Amino acid sequence: MAPLLSAAPTSPVRERDVTTEDRVRPDAPWDVLVWDDPVNLMSYVVFVFRRVFGYPEPVARKLMLEVHHQGRALVASEPREQAEFYVQQLHGYGLHATMQRSS
Amino acid sequence: MSRAFRRHGESIRMQLAGGEVDLLRSMRDGLRAVLSDGAPDDPVIARLFPTAVSDDSEADIELRRLLRDELLSARLAALDDLHALLEQGRASRGGLRVDLDAEQAVLVLGVFNDLRLAIGARVGIEQLEREQLPSDEATTQRLAVMDHFGWLQEQLLAVLDPPSVQLHHDGDGQEEP
Repeated sequence: MAPLLSAAPTSPVRERDVTTEDRVRPDAPWDVLVWDDPVNLMSYVVFVFRRVFGYPEPVARKLMLEVHHQGRALVASEPREQAEFYVQQLHGYGLHATMQRSS
Repeated sequence: MSRAFRRHGESIRMQLAGGEVDLLRSMRDGLRAVLSDGAPDDPVIARLFPTAVSDDSEADIELRRLLRDELLSARLAALDDLHALLEQGRASRGGLRVDLDAEQAVLVLGVFNDLRLAIGARVGIEQLEREQLPSDEATTQRLAVMDHFGWLQEQLLAVLDPPSVQLHHDGDGQEEP
């Protein structure tokens, strides 16, 4: 029986139980966007989304593909401080993330 | 060609060839110098410390100033940690063998990514992709190094977080016998 990855003691990812829709909170005033980049690997971007947001693989992959095909994706909507924290994390991993006021 | 990363008990075993170690050390030193210098018009600096607020340039300047010190010290610390990891490695098969825990593996993955981003910025990869300019030999060589370290990243991800690498469901990440 294979153990769940998220249960392994050395796992680099803590998955949260979320769907793609959960990432957008209607009352949150700041959007965090990730922009397409010719260097970052698709698998690496999936990993970073899993690591930073705890997204399960299908959610992380869907967002990565949105970045890849549409040039950018909305990855989170949050109050200002949390949005800044996410931008910092994503910049730390070398993703080009920006925040802007929700329209 | 043998794999550069494999599970080894609780660790991830990194086995680099001699040439890879030399390349890694010299790129690490190069990036460290660029970061320490911090010239704002350097494309590598621009790529590693990008726009943070997309619709408000004043807020952008403010947030980037706020984030810069922490991001810079994190990047420098990661480069120093990588240096220490390579120093701790054992000579093996003409190269170097280093056993990594999960956090050290994430560190290696991130440093490889920074090094690849630096190469991409140095050769002006966005411009190259748009205009498909013919590359000179130095650019071709840099792109080959960027691809090679991308391939190492893929291998590391397949062991570190298999779900992120969708095509690796056929035995990668298995424990070494």
